[in-house]
Amino acid sequence: MTAAKRLAVFVVLYFAPVFQPIYAQNREMVIPVPQSAYSQAVKVKGGTLVFLSGVGPTDEKGALLAPGDFPGQVRATWENMRRIMAKAGGSLDDIVTMTVYTTERRWGETFTDMRKEVFKTGYPSSAFMEARKLLTPGALLEIQAIAVLYD
Amino acid sequence: METMKMWKLLPVVLILTIAPVGMAQELKKEFIDTQGQESRSAAVKVKGGTMLFLAGHTASQPRPDADLGNFDAQFKAVFEKIANTLAKAGGNLDDIVSMSVFLTDLRYAPQFQKMTKDVFKKNFPAMTFIEVSHLARPQSIMEVQPIAVLP
Repeated sequence: MTAAKRLAVFVVLYFAPVFQPIYAQNREMVIPVPQSAYSQAVKVKGGTLVFLSGVGPTDEKGALLAPGDFPGQVRATWENMRRIMAKAGGSLDDIVTMTVYTTERRWGETFTDMRKEVFKTGYPSSAFMEARKLLTPGALLEIQAIAVLYD
Repeated sequence: METMKMWKLLPVVLILTIAPVGMAQELKKEFIDTQGQESRSAAVKVKGGTMLFLAGHTASQPRPDADLGNFDAQFKAVFEKIANTLAKAGGNLDDIVSMSVFLTDLRYAPQFQKMTKDVFKKNFPAMTFIEVSHLARPQSIMEVQPIAVLP
């Protein structure tokens, strides 16, 4: 092997760790529970974090959408989250965890069914609980989420 | 001769590749859809920094003399405690990027938002308000659980 070749091999090996993070899997769903559309844990490495405020079924002025209609409120909430995630440069699929507050926990199954339609690349970790009251009167759910974006 | 020239370049290549690794990753924060009236942002995007996950803080300790029945007094005691926790970790209140606010009466939310304006000097974190039936201690009417990112 000539010195030039040795140098080339050395430089390639030297740079390898620099490029490794680009190829490495940087998000892993731990123990997915597909029937309830969530994962017991999501493992992430690196990336840009996005912390979302609680998002509910409201229009831009904060007025309630789809009063009394839980599926309609879920759709409106996904739409609002989608809009915020787009502004952050991402999408709903970048969400790694969510806390779902509902005023009636009997909506749990409807909610998880609707979550199946939204997440296509793996389910976030999640907690679902009944709150006594939400900030918007008449809102049946509010979702607080954290997302991780990769360049 | 050619090979000799390449070997001479090697230290330059090494220094250039090591440089970004040695540099501490700079913290970048972006506040999305800030609503000054509600003292919150719809989302906060964060790259780099050190994450600090705080426990839920209440007004019970270390000020047992605090008038726990009074909302303003509890608010001040809670944020004093949060500032103290942040200081111990090498940060301050402005490092908070997200807050979960649990109140036993959501009618206090506007007062909480009003008082929050004086807590954050520059930008408002993502915020979620939830009304719960009870907190850990009977005298507590609020519990605040923040996430901070320190430079």
